[in-house]
Amino acid sequence: MDGLLVGVDLCDEYTQVNCPEEEKLWTVPTVICRNKNADEWYVGEEAYAHTLKGDGIIVDKLLNLALRDGTATLGGVRYEGKELLFLFLERILQLPAQEYQKGKPEYLVIAVKRLEPRLSRMLQEIVLRLGILKEQVQVISHSEGFIYYTLSQKKEVWNNTVGMFDLSEVGLRYYEMKVQRGMKKVMVVAEYEDLEEGVNLDVLKKPSGGHLADRILTSCAERMMAHKAYSAVFLTGKGFLSQEWAGNLMQYLCSRRKVYIEQGIFARGAACRAQEGAQENASFTCICDGRLKTTVSMKVLHRGQETNVTVAAAGDCWYDRVSVIDVIPDRQNTVDFIVTSMDSRKKKLISIPLEGFPKRPDRTTRVQIQVMFLDERTMEVTLRDHGFGELFPASNALIRQEVML
Amino acid sequence: MSLLLCRQEHVKRPYFMELMGVHLYSSQELSYVIFNHPMLVLDDFVDERLLTFLREELDKGFLALKLERWLKSGENPDEALMIILQDCDYYSMAEVGRFRQMAAALRKKHPADFLRMKADELFSLRQYGRAVEIYRKLLEYPKGEQVDDLFFGRVYNNLGSCYARMFQLDKAFEAYVNAYQKNQQDAVLERLYDLSRIDERLALNKELQEEITEKQRELWEQKLKMAREKARQSKQVKELEEMFRQDTVKRQTGEANQLYQWKQEYRNMA
Repeated sequence: MDGLLVGVDLCDEYTQVNCPEEEKLWTVPTVICRNKNADEWYVGEEAYAHTLKGDGIIVDKLLNLALRDGTATLGGVRYEGKELLFLFLERILQLPAQEYQKGKPEYLVIAVKRLEPRLSRMLQEIVLRLGILKEQVQVISHSEGFIYYTLSQKKEVWNNTVGMFDLSEVGLRYYEMKVQRGMKKVMVVAEYEDLEEGVNLDVLKKPSGGHLADRILTSCAERMMAHKAYSAVFLTGKGFLSQEWAGNLMQYLCSRRKVYIEQGIFARGAACRAQEGAQENASFTCICDGRLKTTVSMKVLHRGQETNVTVAAAGDCWYDRVSVIDVIPDRQNTVDFIVTSMDSRKKKLISIPLEGFPKRPDRTTRVQIQVMFLDERTMEVTLRDHGFGELFPASNALIRQEVML
Repeated sequence: MSLLLCRQEHVKRPYFMELMGVHLYSSQELSYVIFNHPMLVLDDFVDERLLTFLREELDKGFLALKLERWLKSGENPDEALMIILQDCDYYSMAEVGRFRQMAAALRKKHPADFLRMKADELFSLRQYGRAVEIYRKLLEYPKGEQVDDLFFGRVYNNLGSCYARMFQLDKAFEAYVNAYQKNQQDAVLERLYDLSRIDERLALNKELQEEITEKQRELWEQKLKMAREKARQSKQVKELEEMFRQDTVKRQTGEANQLYQWKQEYRNMA
């Protein structure tokens, strides 16, 4: 792959950029500044510098601004949040392009803290304006970035449970990841929990504040990690740039396991994902936020044989998964789905009766089944009567049902 | 009980099934027509036009090639239909087997009977114009053991029904008169009576009038009255009345649509 592969961790406070197998990590505050006197834009530290100099107006929290359809007025011109985010990303992506003397990214992965369909669509629209096609971009969660980063390390790092604390200006989050073997395809499950024990990073600068934070985080780590076998623990986020304040925490974490302090894990993970995305051969199934934890299938008759058709598989991105299949019921007036949970391997049958569909001779109703997901646990099924050509014209019969998985 | 999985067939130019007046958009519809209307497909159905449809629209090039070779081989051409049914996977092997037996049984029928069944099938599909062609051809058959007066009586009767449904009442009347001469059935006489009551120009001759008893006349009058009342109360008539109550602009649009629909229906059946 000769093209540029880029991983971006896009947060409201900072944005980090990395390319696969490259050590260099760009960390840029997510701010943009417009020159008061000219149509010139600056991002990151440069934006702060111009603002301090007094010749620019700065806007921060760009992700949040774009997501809530907010606007900002700079130099008498009102800009939409999306437009500002576009300008920001355009400049951010120039960093690796200039460094490695390459054009626009051939595959781009953006990791975000909380994955939402709207955010994903918005980012895809923005990067499309940058000339990057939908097939060349993927928006993933921090959990997925964590998975990809961890799996890019030596096996001894992830052959057991892997934990990670992310201490940033907005709070403390604990991630946990496990590799499950013994299935057709290796499955990696990651979960996270936002903890209340987050501390203001300014307090860490004072010894008393640091001691307090150390005590709080140590007790938090004891609670989260008790009775589990870890192969590694990662510490990331601005809060762990220095560990002088965290003596007790480090002592607890370092007993019988390896602890890694690493910055830019999500951007590096996104870069690994970009590498795999470009190769299109996922070697494992990834189960985390933004991805389905269940497999939905249907039993159908094909070539005289009963066979299973997968409508959505565990590990699929639920927010952009839309399946459409056509079936013809044969002496049956329901459409049945089998939901298989990856956690318990238990199977659940969901049957939707074709109520309100016209009565016709057997096998003369074509039903279009559309399945999409409203969130990880809610499936929306739409059944449409497509009739049977001109022999039995379609009616307007339609069934829409939400199914809890 | 099961769900049949449909293959994705992006048909842009559907196959027009002339004998039924319908377009077919999928391999399932094609299978359905073959299985349920064998009389319409047993002769010359698998032709170049169908092969082109299979090849270009249903993306079944291999099947088209197989059929082409089969037809050239000189083997039983009916077997080509089984090949289609098997390939399209809409019917089970057992059902295809049943169809094979049914086709063989139909082939054993007397040619006149076979043709009459085909015409009857077209009649049931409201393809009256096409049915008339076959019924008229059947009337040219020489009289024989199978083709007796009873046979001709049925053919004339059905011919009359075709004409009546195409509103060609004079031709219908003539056909029913011939049918009655052949089979002397009261049902045919009743139809003649009904036509004479509907259209004043169609008068029953003296002989036929004498055939009708007073009791029959009363009963048929009663039935005719009920039929007229039923028609008056029908949904279609109510809709027309409603349309005529609307303002001029809406009414004219409605009239134009209705006339277009009737024309289409008539052209399809005639």
